[in-house]
Amino acid sequence: MSHDDASETKPGRPAALRVRDVAAGFGDQPGLRAISFEVKDAERFVIVGPSGAGKTTLLRAIAGLIPVSRGHVEIAGSDRTHLVAERRDAVYLHQTPVLFPHLDVFENVAFPLRVRGVATPEIHDRVARVLDSVQLGSFATRRPHALSGGQRHRVALARAIIARPAVLLLDEPLSSLDPALRSDVREVILDIARTYRPALVIVTHDLDDAAFMGNRIGVLLDGRLEQIATPAELFTHPASLPIARLLAISNEVCGVIERERVFCSPLGEMRLTSDMPSGNGVMVFRADAVQLIPESASAVQCTGVVVELHHRPQQTTLRVRVESARGTTLIEAAIDSMQALAIGSVVGLSVDPRRVSVFSQP
Amino acid sequence: MDTPTCGAHRPVTLPRGPRKSPSYRRTDLARYVGLAALTIAAIGPLLLLMVWSASREWFFPALLPQRWSVDGWQWLFQGGERIAVAVRNSVLLGIADGVIGCAIAFPIGRAMSRLTGWRRYAAAAAVFSPVAAPPIALGIGLQYFLLRIGVGGSVVGVLLAHLVPTVGYLSLFFLSVFVAFDRRVEDEARTLGASSRQVLFRITLPMMRRQLMEAVAIGFLISWAQYALTLTVGGGAVHTLPLEVFSYMRAGSGNYAASAALVMIVPPLLALAAARYAAGRTVVSPV
Amino acid sequence: MTDAGHRRTVALLGAALVATPVLLGVAYAAAGAVGMTGVAATGFSLGRLSHVLAEHTVWRSVFWSIVVAAVATALSVTAAACAATMFSGRRIVDRIARALAVAPLAVPYVVAGALGLLILGQSGFLARLAYAWGFIASPNDMPAVVYDTRGVGVILTLAWKEFPFLALVAFSLIAARGAALEETAHTLGAGRWATLSRVTWPLLWRGLLPAATAVFIFSMGNYEAAALLAPSDPLPLPMLTLERYDALELSQRTDAYVLTLLGLLIAIVAVGVHEWTRRRAELIDR
Repeated sequence: MSHDDASETKPGRPAALRVRDVAAGFGDQPGLRAISFEVKDAERFVIVGPSGAGKTTLLRAIAGLIPVSRGHVEIAGSDRTHLVAERRDAVYLHQTPVLFPHLDVFENVAFPLRVRGVATPEIHDRVARVLDSVQLGSFATRRPHALSGGQRHRVALARAIIARPAVLLLDEPLSSLDPALRSDVREVILDIARTYRPALVIVTHDLDDAAFMGNRIGVLLDGRLEQIATPAELFTHPASLPIARLLAISNEVCGVIERERVFCSPLGEMRLTSDMPSGNGVMVFRADAVQLIPESASAVQCTGVVVELHHRPQQTTLRVRVESARGTTLIEAAIDSMQALAIGSVVGLSVDPRRVSVFSQP
Repeated sequence: MDTPTCGAHRPVTLPRGPRKSPSYRRTDLARYVGLAALTIAAIGPLLLLMVWSASREWFFPALLPQRWSVDGWQWLFQGGERIAVAVRNSVLLGIADGVIGCAIAFPIGRAMSRLTGWRRYAAAAAVFSPVAAPPIALGIGLQYFLLRIGVGGSVVGVLLAHLVPTVGYLSLFFLSVFVAFDRRVEDEARTLGASSRQVLFRITLPMMRRQLMEAVAIGFLISWAQYALTLTVGGGAVHTLPLEVFSYMRAGSGNYAASAALVMIVPPLLALAAARYAAGRTVVSPV
Repeated sequence: MTDAGHRRTVALLGAALVATPVLLGVAYAAAGAVGMTGVAATGFSLGRLSHVLAEHTVWRSVFWSIVVAAVATALSVTAAACAATMFSGRRIVDRIARALAVAPLAVPYVVAGALGLLILGQSGFLARLAYAWGFIASPNDMPAVVYDTRGVGVILTLAWKEFPFLALVAFSLIAARGAALEETAHTLGAGRWATLSRVTWPLLWRGLLPAATAVFIFSMGNYEAAALLAPSDPLPLPMLTLERYDALELSQRTDAYVLTLLGLLIAIVAVGVHEWTRRRAELIDR
């Protein structure tokens, strides 16, 4: 994760984008209820959520492409809730790049300047610079239909940024690309974000992209913004079980919360860091919260048998079956690929209590 | 050519408007002026034809006829041999033209859909040429050959002449139908053991029932509206409704012409209504 | 030959078959034009051909037909583009407007011509309205647009006749394209007018061009609407052709072959233009 600091903006300066208590959506669009958040200059805010949660509706409402039924959209310190899209200073990019098919690359990128009445020499200058910054300098006279998928994305981004909008809204910017191009376009987006420093709002359903591109992540579930957190916070401490499930956190273990802040599960007893009502509960933690240690080590909470081993592109994971008096459960853990473990080996497990979240489940 | 014209080479999605930004929902004066103009252009002529067909005396400057009568309509239905023959010829020619034209154009359009690049444009240009040729010129050019094979001045000769633009137009129609058609369905049927004949009769034709009906309707309308080819090839011996409308207009018998004209616009209106009814889905038809 | 190559040949042969009548017509008219066939056949001679092509009346007819068809097409394309941009929404007014716009689709030319006469003539319905509202005192005060040398009546009638088809194409172009391009223009800072003039209309124009070419071809080649409304001087090209063909004087028959050939050749050129516009439009749609 990169860490350019968004907080460099001068204190007292208004947020580039402030969404206050917005409700929107009608007809066949998913509805939004009471959405509030702020994005500062140069900050990259990512919104994740399942399909149908209203992600696109939210971006379109900010862009002014659909009306909000309640609340306010403030951009660069002024209320623009009732302004038409072209006067909002916020550019919205569709999921697949929408280029003007009758204009070449140069004129596509020049479009925002042309409609603002910028003088032609200046347009030439600025378009050339922006095209260079997305490595499309030699493509100026190409027509959109003669471009590849990645090039189309670059043109759309160059065109979006050329008029220096306060807010850039990207709707699933990578979902239409194949894996080889994804990281390429991702870098272009980050590059543009660093160079031009707009407030960036990105909608995605890909958690990896979210973690990679966002300074902060907002989780949109069922029309509500359920949690806003940094990637580090979010993935270790999701605010609720539905969020944890959305984030596809590997391990979910059922158990019982007993008095004295103790969670009892097939993994044994674990002390909770905060008070919770007693009753049934679920413990959630990532694969990397689990440590595999020799069966005999003193920190062992429980033992299990390796039942599956997966060599995945970026890491190796395994599944361990844990059987105890309190029941049976499968635990996923990440290991060093060089670690010599085979299916059937018996291992000891230790789960870091600071990295688990427990939710009650009535 | 006398029909809803070309452009059928592309599948036409019957309009369901795109969503518009609410910021542009101005109720303009222009919109209502436009709507009024469209209403007058669509309904005005129809009303005028109705009034005209029921008039006996209608002289300047009266806005409505001085004397009404049902002459125009009586003539149309009981006006004797000539008009009866004209109506019958028009109907029969239209049906034959639609069915035969469809049967010929179907395989041609299908074969053309397999072409790519310049070959497809060349083929499309070739089949469009009889549609584009001025009917008078085409008629004069064809008359000689039709006389040579002994069908000049006959209904059969006129039918053959009508088929020329119809087959051209319907080939383009089927080209666009087959370009939009997902051939994988046929492949799937093949791998499931169907012979190419079985694929045609059990898969392709049933799937295209609606388009086939549209094609027959278009062929009917092309023949139905045809004037110049009938005139030149028929040599005055073959009467159809358009010829009657024309000659009564020329003769100043407006009420006769108007009632025949009203009858002439019934099939196109029915076809349009049917296409609208079937719409909502993608309709490959200009009708 | 490969299977694919075989299929290709069959397809091209099929297309050629459809075009055969036109080629036969061209061949026959060409033969007739140089005196090789027809009732006036006198053996090969270019005399009549060069005589007709030097005739002022002929070129006046050709020019008149081209201008009238072009103006009528331009009028209906403009009207169709306006209607399509004005009524592209989803509201009931939009739907009604779209249904009304395409309703006169497939009205035969002969009916259109009859209506033109009935409405636009000097004692036609418009004249009666003008009289009723006190603009004119007698039919002679009404501007003569029917049988008019400038062809105003023909132009208006053809424009009305072709409008529904062009409107239908325009509506479907806009519906198929969706709102994404206009939205993008707005969000990039283009106002309503800039979006119309820089995005919507240029695209609509390119998409409509093939249909407009076709409409131009049909308007130019049409006989019956023109015959009911056109002046006797200059005669529209199809009328001139038929007039010479039906003439009693045999040399005029030969003229008719020349004119037929001319008409067919103009159409063939127009077909080429039509395919070219179609290719351009499809390139953009990809």
